[in-house]
Amino acid sequence: MISGVLRYLRMLGGLARYTLAREMAFRGNFLVKVSVELLWMGILIAFYRTVFGKTNQIAGWSEPDYFFFVGCFFAINGLIETLFLENCNEFAELVRTGDLDFLLLKPIDEQFLVSCRRMDWGTAPNLVMGAILMVVALVQKGWTFDPSRVAAFVATFAFGVAIAYSFMMILTSFSVWMVRNQSLMEMWWLFSSLARYPRQIFSGRGAETLGRFFTFVVPILLVSNVPADVMVRVLDWWMVGFTAAVAVISLWVSRWFFQFALRSYRSASS
Amino acid sequence: MTPPDAAAIAIPATPSPGPLHALVKYARIFRVSLIERMTYRSDFLIGTLLRFLPIITTVLLWKAIYEGSGQTQIGGFNYREMIAYLLLTNISRMFSSMPGLAGGIAREVREGTLKRYLLQPLDLLGFLLSSRVAHKVAYITMSFLPYALLFYLCRSYFDGFPDATTMAAYALSLVLSFLVGFYFEASVGMVGFWFLEVTSVLYIVMTLNFFISGHMLPLDLLPQPWAGILKALPFQYMAYFPAVVFQGKIRGTELILHLGLELFWALAFMLLARTLYRAGLKRYSAYGG
Repeated sequence: MISGVLRYLRMLGGLARYTLAREMAFRGNFLVKVSVELLWMGILIAFYRTVFGKTNQIAGWSEPDYFFFVGCFFAINGLIETLFLENCNEFAELVRTGDLDFLLLKPIDEQFLVSCRRMDWGTAPNLVMGAILMVVALVQKGWTFDPSRVAAFVATFAFGVAIAYSFMMILTSFSVWMVRNQSLMEMWWLFSSLARYPRQIFSGRGAETLGRFFTFVVPILLVSNVPADVMVRVLDWWMVGFTAAVAVISLWVSRWFFQFALRSYRSASS
Repeated sequence: MTPPDAAAIAIPATPSPGPLHALVKYARIFRVSLIERMTYRSDFLIGTLLRFLPIITTVLLWKAIYEGSGQTQIGGFNYREMIAYLLLTNISRMFSSMPGLAGGIAREVREGTLKRYLLQPLDLLGFLLSSRVAHKVAYITMSFLPYALLFYLCRSYFDGFPDATTMAAYALSLVLSFLVGFYFEASVGMVGFWFLEVTSVLYIVMTLNFFISGHMLPLDLLPQPWAGILKALPFQYMAYFPAVVFQGKIRGTELILHLGLELFWALAFMLLARTLYRAGLKRYSAYGG
């Protein structure tokens, strides 16, 4: 078991090095990609600074708390986009051309190979920028170190990544039947646009039901809400446990669905 | 291989066919582009519907902002006006955003396919403008029903339709915002004559445009001097200006002045695009193909 995990970690390291070398062949392009992400971060900060110039809280979140949330979302989103988004986008093309055959023949787990073949290093700095924003927000808040909060944050951050990854894998699996998955990017955009706000904004008639739906049925709102909550607001162990359970279940469902989809795959090549 | 000298390509000495002939030509381009655009109707409808969902979170976010501030007015906008503004900027962007235009021009330069505009009696900018008008007509026709439904559901945020003069000014501001958007992006695309790859420049310009055009929030909310600076730039005409015209926030002489300025920017970018095109052709080497 441990040797298996180590083998996959080594492989991930190798793939990461290989894609970094490829990316560095076009350094200018890489720098521009990073500057676009930096610009986005700058725009988001300008937007929320303007808003907090007019109010001192949004749905019960004070300015530093809210910026911690934004940083947390940025980091999770950056990690998912770095590791999986490009791979998942390419999956439809692999199905269409029949090149998926070559991946299925390799003595490695298909899901690992499909979802981790390439790293998009251009979005990796988002993780760093998100982390910087979170640290600045904690300093501004005057946060005192609390090991249980940090442990809960690290765990729920990982659970959030797992939930987001599962959601993306399920969307990707549809490509086996749809072949073209133009809607994947649209769905991912929708997914991330729901995850980027605190779930407390879902208040009022109708909105609360919608908030509960996206927390308990399609658990998008757990992704960045719970880690930010446990670190700067309320450390609710029940919510941590619930997020852990959701992460495990969604990982299992996405794996089952991916393998179910693969069974419907018919090679397109000769 | 000696690349043909673009400037030396002579147009055959046939008599000029006249403006009516040119009109028919561009009308045909419009028709073909329209048919092409209407091919993937269901894909388009799903995309449009999905794009509406984040509007719900935007409405909820601003509701939370107004409740948190305890004020009824922020930057001269009450809550209802703010939501109406954000909905209206979607209409402005529907006219002024030009996905793929600049990238397409740069690709034609890079791959050498631009030479077809030099060999045929076809003006690149005229061709692109007619096909883009067709795309917009198709897009606006197809999204009319989903948008009508959205605005009907959100009718409580509006005080009904404005008077006829305001509506006329709004329609004019939208048409001009299309022209500003088109010629601005075309000018960015022309940079492709000097740099092989403009996608990167484009990403930065478009990302910035999203904020400085007022698509994310009304420019009045920004602190000075930013609000003043952004209102002096042409980007406001791509999202902010048409929306506030509909809301009746700009009236009288100020309205006429701004419509004049919008026309000025449309013409200025047109001139810029044409100048860059002419200058670019002198450098163009028609590789490939």
